[in-house]
Amino acid sequence: MERVVQTLVDAVSVGSLYALTALGIGLIFGVMRLINFAHGELMTIAAYTLLALVGLPLPVMLLGAMLVAVVLALITERAAFRPLRNADPTTLLISSFAVSFFLQKLLILLVGSRLKGLDFLPGLGREIQLVGVRLQLLQIVTIVVGAVLLVVMTWFLKATRLGLHMRAAAEDFRMARVLGVRANGVIAMAFALSGVLAAAVSCLVVAQTGVVQPRMGLQLVIIAFVGTVIGGLGSLTGAALGGFLVGAGSILLQALLPPELRPFREAFVFIAVALVLLFRPQGLIPARGLRERI
Amino acid sequence: MSAPAPRGDRAVDMLRRLWPLLALCLIVAGIALAASFAPAVLQRRATQGLINLTAVVGLYVFVGNSGVLSFGSVAFMAVGAYVSALLTMRPAAKSVFLPDLPAMIANAQWPTLPGALAGGFVAALVALVVGWPLMRLSGVSASIATFAVLVVANVVFGNWTSVTGGQNSLMGLPAYVDLWTALGWALAAMAIAFLYQETRSALLLRASREDEAAAEASGVNVMLHRLLAFVISAFLSGIAGVLLGHFLGIVRVENFYLDLTFLIVAMLIIGGRGSLTGAVAGALVIAVLTELLREAEVGVQIGKATLAAPPGTGDVILALIMLLIILFRPDGIAAGRELTWPFNRN
Amino acid sequence: MTSAAPFLTVSGLVVRYGAVTAVRGIDLRMEEGEIVGIVGPNGAGKTSLISAVAGLVAPAAGTISFNGRSLENIALEDVVAHGIALVPEGRRIFASLTVAENLLLGATARRDREAVPADIERVSDMFPILRERRRQPAGQLSGGEQQQLAIARALLSRPQLLMLDEPSLGLAPMIVDQIYAHLRAICGQGVTILLVEQNAERVFAVSSRIYVMSGGEFSLSGSAEEIKRDSRFDAAYFGVHMREAAGGL
Repeated sequence: MERVVQTLVDAVSVGSLYALTALGIGLIFGVMRLINFAHGELMTIAAYTLLALVGLPLPVMLLGAMLVAVVLALITERAAFRPLRNADPTTLLISSFAVSFFLQKLLILLVGSRLKGLDFLPGLGREIQLVGVRLQLLQIVTIVVGAVLLVVMTWFLKATRLGLHMRAAAEDFRMARVLGVRANGVIAMAFALSGVLAAAVSCLVVAQTGVVQPRMGLQLVIIAFVGTVIGGLGSLTGAALGGFLVGAGSILLQALLPPELRPFREAFVFIAVALVLLFRPQGLIPARGLRERI
Repeated sequence: MSAPAPRGDRAVDMLRRLWPLLALCLIVAGIALAASFAPAVLQRRATQGLINLTAVVGLYVFVGNSGVLSFGSVAFMAVGAYVSALLTMRPAAKSVFLPDLPAMIANAQWPTLPGALAGGFVAALVALVVGWPLMRLSGVSASIATFAVLVVANVVFGNWTSVTGGQNSLMGLPAYVDLWTALGWALAAMAIAFLYQETRSALLLRASREDEAAAEASGVNVMLHRLLAFVISAFLSGIAGVLLGHFLGIVRVENFYLDLTFLIVAMLIIGGRGSLTGAVAGALVIAVLTELLREAEVGVQIGKATLAAPPGTGDVILALIMLLIILFRPDGIAAGRELTWPFNRN
Repeated sequence: MTSAAPFLTVSGLVVRYGAVTAVRGIDLRMEEGEIVGIVGPNGAGKTSLISAVAGLVAPAAGTISFNGRSLENIALEDVVAHGIALVPEGRRIFASLTVAENLLLGATARRDREAVPADIERVSDMFPILRERRRQPAGQLSGGEQQQLAIARALLSRPQLLMLDEPSLGLAPMIVDQIYAHLRAICGQGVTILLVEQNAERVFAVSSRIYVMSGGEFSLSGSAEEIKRDSRFDAAYFGVHMREAAGGL
C-alpha cells in the first residue's frame, strides 16, 4: 500500500514537471505556431546559472536563473524568430531546431560537455512522513510548485488584460491585431513566461538529480513535445494535460512493467501516444478555433 | 497529324529530362575519382562524405516531396546498420558480442549485398508500420512524431541488449565499404530519388504541399502518397546506415541519435530541401566545411605556439550557418531548383 | 460641400497578391456621416479594398488618407486608434472567449478605460442578446448573434468610420433586416459607415451612395437612387466595364 502511494506521488510529481514544460511550449505555439526546441536550452542554461551562482543566497540563485532564462528567451525571439513571424510552420520548426543546437553546442564550447554535480537544495532530499507514508520532501515541493504555477498562469490568462490579449492572439492572431492587440508585446510575453516556467522546472530537476549537463534540457523537452501533440496543439489546457499524462504515465509504466521491460518504458509511452494520435489526430483537447494564420 | 518525333529528338528529350540526375552523378563521380588519387586519409573522408550524401538523399526523398520535416531518418539508418550487421557478421564475432541472439540469426552469415538490401528493406518495413498512424498528422505534429520515432529507436536499440548489444558498441562488422562501394550506392540512391520524384505519386504529393485542403478536395489521398515517400526515404536511409556501419566496422547506438540527425538535417536545409540538387549541394558544402573546420581545430603553427580553434567550434559554426540560411535564404543554396539543361533548343 | 479635411480619400489604390492584381487603381471618397456601399460579385476585389483601408494588406500603389492622415504605412495594430474599425468577413469573433471578453477586446486601443464599461452598457442596450449571453463562450452564439457581437465589438473602439465586409453573408433575411436597422441607428449616432456587400438590394436601401465594383475596378458610381435606376447596373455588376464620368463624386 505504501508503495502504491509512493508511486502515485512520484507520478504526479514527474507529471507536474512535464506539464509545466509542455505549458511553456504550448504558450509559444499558441501565439506563434512555433514548436520551440530551444525551450530545452532555456532549462539547461538556467541550470548552469544556478551552478555559476553557487554560494549566494537561495533567492538570488533562483532569481538569477529565472532572469537569465527570460532574457535568453527574449533574445532568441528577437533574433531568430521575429524575422520568421510569417513563415510556414516547418521553417519555424527548423529555425528552433537550429537555435537549440546552436545554444547547446555553444554551451559545450564554453563549459565542456561533461556533466557537473550541483548540490542544490539538498535539504529537500530528506524523507518526510505524510499520512503514514514515507515520501521525499522534494516530490511534495514539486507538486506544490507545479500546482501554484499552473494556478498563477491560469489566473494571469483569465483575469488580466495581457492574458486576455494572449488568449485572443492564440485563437486568431490577425484579428487580435486588427483590434489593436500589440503582436510584439504578446509574443514577447509568451516567451518571457515560457522562460519563467523553464527556470522553475530546471531548478526542480537540478534539485532532484544533482547534476547539470549540456543535454539535460533536450531530454526534458522531447517528452514534453510529445505531450503537447497528444494534448492537442494550440490548446494550453491540452498541453498541460498531455505533458502531465506522458510524464505520469512514464512513472506508472516504470512501476507496472516487468523488470526486463522497464528500460523500454519510454518506447511504450510513445506507442501509447501513437495510438492516441491514431484515433484522435487532433489531440485530446483540440484548440477551439485553431485557424491557420493568414 | 504530325509525324512522331524522330529518334534523335526523342533521345535528346530523354537526356533533357534526366539531365539533373546525370549532371549530379557526373559531379559526384568526378569528385570520387579525384579523391581516389589522394592519400588514404582523404579517401576515407571522401567515403564518409558519400555515405552522408546517401543519408541526405534519403531524408530529401521525404522532406522535399512532402514538405514535412522528418527527424526520424537516423532511426532508419540505425535499423539498416543493425540488420546488416546481424546478418553479415561472422558467427564467431556475434557469439562474442551478442551471446543471446536467436540461433537462426546467430548462425547466419550473409554476403554483403543481400545484407545491405535486407537492411534497407527492414527499415522500409518499419517505416510502413510506423508511418501508418503518423502520416495522418498535420505538418508540425508529424514532425514531432518523427522526433518521437527517433527517441523510441534510441531507447529500443539502446536497451535491447540481446540483439543489439545495447549501450555497448557492436564491433566486428565486415568493413567492406570503400570509396567505390560508397560511390556506387550514392549514385544508386540519387537515381532512385530522382526517378521517384518524377512519378505521378510524387508530383501529387508536391502539389499537396502548397494546399493540402485543395489536394484532398480533388480526391488526392495525401496520406498514402506521403507514406510511399516515407517508406522509400526509409529504405535509402537504411542503406546509408548500412554503409556507415560497414565503413566504421562498428555500430554504436549513440552515433545514431541527435548529433547525426542534426548533421543530416543541416545538410539538407543548407543545400536546399526542395530539390535533389539541393540535397547533393548540402552534402558537398558540409563536406568541404568540415574539412576546413577540422584544419582549423588542428591549428596552425606560429613559432612555438599553435593557433587553433577550440574543439567544438565546428559544431557551433555549423549550427550558426544553418540558422543564417533559414533566416536569410530559407530555401537553401539550390532554392528548390534542379540543375538545368545547359543547351537550349535553337 | 465642406472645406474641412475630407473624411476618407482613397486615390489610385492598387492591391496585389503575388501575380494577381485584386484592385486595379480605384478612387473613393467618403464624407462624414454618410453610409457608402460597395457592391459587386465574388472576386471583384471588395474585400481587398476594404482590407487595404483597414491596414490588413499593404497597397502596391496609391494613397489612403483619413482625416488628413495618411494610412498606407501605419502598422495594423495602430489603425483602430486612428478611428477606423473593421467588422471582417465571417465575423471572426473569438469563439473560445466569452461574449464579455470579446467586447472588452474591442476597447483594446482606447486610452479612456474608465468610459469603457458605460460603452459596454450602451452596446448591450442596442444588442440585448449580448447582455443576456454575456458569460457564454462566443462560439455558442448563432450566426446572427455573432454578427451583432462583431459589430458591438467594433463599436467599442468608438470608431469614426465603421467598415463592414459582407455583414449579411450566411444570415437569414429577418436577421439581416435587424442588422441593417442597427446600422441605420449607428449612423444616426454619428458613425460613418462603409459597407461591402454582394447583396445589392439591401445596400441600396440604406446607403446614400454606391460604388459598383467588378474585376478590381469601379464600373459605376453615384447616389443610390441613380444606380438603382441605371439600366447598366446589371452589366456593370457582372463585369462589363462602363466608363462613367465620375465628375463630382
